[in-house]
Amino acid sequence: MDGDIVLVIVIATALVFDFTNGFHDTANVVATSISTHAVSPRLAVGMAALLNFAGAFISIEVAATIASDVVDAGAITPTVIFAGLVGAIAWNLITWYFGLPSSSSHALIGGVVGAVIAAVGTAAVDGEGILGKVLIPAVLAPIVAFTIGVIAIVIAYRICWKKRPGPVARGFRMGQVVSGGLLALAHGTNDAQKTMGVITLALIANGNLPSTGFEVPTWVIVTSASAIALGTYTGGWRIIRTMGTRIIKMDSAQGFSAQGAGAATILASSHFGFPLSTTQVIAGGIMGSGAGKRVSAVRWGVAGNIVVAWFLTLPASAAIGAACYAFTSLFGDGAAGPVILSGLAIMLGLTLFAQRIRRGQPVPQV
Amino acid sequence: MSLASLIQVLPATVIDGEALLDTAVASLVAGIFVTFTASLAIYGFATAAEMRRVDRDLAAIAAGALGVVSMLAFGAAIALGLAVMING
Repeated sequence: MDGDIVLVIVIATALVFDFTNGFHDTANVVATSISTHAVSPRLAVGMAALLNFAGAFISIEVAATIASDVVDAGAITPTVIFAGLVGAIAWNLITWYFGLPSSSSHALIGGVVGAVIAAVGTAAVDGEGILGKVLIPAVLAPIVAFTIGVIAIVIAYRICWKKRPGPVARGFRMGQVVSGGLLALAHGTNDAQKTMGVITLALIANGNLPSTGFEVPTWVIVTSASAIALGTYTGGWRIIRTMGTRIIKMDSAQGFSAQGAGAATILASSHFGFPLSTTQVIAGGIMGSGAGKRVSAVRWGVAGNIVVAWFLTLPASAAIGAACYAFTSLFGDGAAGPVILSGLAIMLGLTLFAQRIRRGQPVPQV
Repeated sequence: MSLASLIQVLPATVIDGEALLDTAVASLVAGIFVTFTASLAIYGFATAAEMRRVDRDLAAIAAGALGVVSMLAFGAAIALGLAVMING
């Protein structure tokens, strides 16, 4: 009975994480379209939400990686996964509070790994899987997106530079509707699957699914897709401002190049089962399309802050995940720990959210 | 050091170098091809409009055809990418 209560809490927490993932990463998907006036903010966010939902149904390669290549599914419990999820959500909220576009994916992986280490030690952590499937792709993907961004913007400018700016800008803005849609689809494909992977892992840990073979139940796909779409629609406007205007001041050709670079990298990676940080990839594409025009066009100070947040994400979320597990274990192996921690987390989250909304500027006047 | 040689020196048991390289190459080809065809389509349509304004109909038709063909290539690239994704 206790196991089932914890499982329900884990699934609810995973869906909350998925919601914050959509909420947090909306900026990645729509910022460039909004900042170049390709589409209105509300339309961009609505379109992104729909395509995030659709994207979640495209593939389950990334979910398989999360469920089988990061930690030993047989050695962990739903409480461990719960603690990891709380670590990831906490880090997402902290970075959202400061307007930093960090990686929800790495927060999730870091949180789960930290909780696993606190629970059973490093033996249940698949170091090779994390290195090969998470860390190295994490370093390479933004570099690939940056390179595509540089080459793409050089091509776009070379081909169109003699034409009148009005029609060219309109053309690229129309192109941005397509590339922005692809990016939203790519985001849904890569990011919703992480939640599917975690819920599947919890179902395996609770004995609801066999530990051999890997299959994501349909209801898990549908609920994960819905949660990320709802989070995307709610939108993270603070990060939209950082991504859309503070890294570079972009024109529509740069916006198109950055979105194309991001979508191509994420879709290809999802196909091969690499759980990328969509945030890092898109930031790489934006920086590339800025640097391809003029290296000094990129605000390297802002870019540096983002990179620092990237490096902090895995250890910080792992530390929070481990601390959460230590806290829940104070109340024994039953459901008491997760129930108390959930209550505290909900209260803290709501307080933080209310404070931010009061002090911040929730919706920019674009 | 090139990407290919970097991947070759990484431990083969840990890194699926081939999948990583395939991912990088597929991303580069797709990203660059999509931008190239979209830019060419914009160039074609913008040139066609300019040619029509100065009554150079033949040049306008040629530029418009370039725009249409490029846009079809752009659409085909996106459709192909999605088909590959959906069919695994």
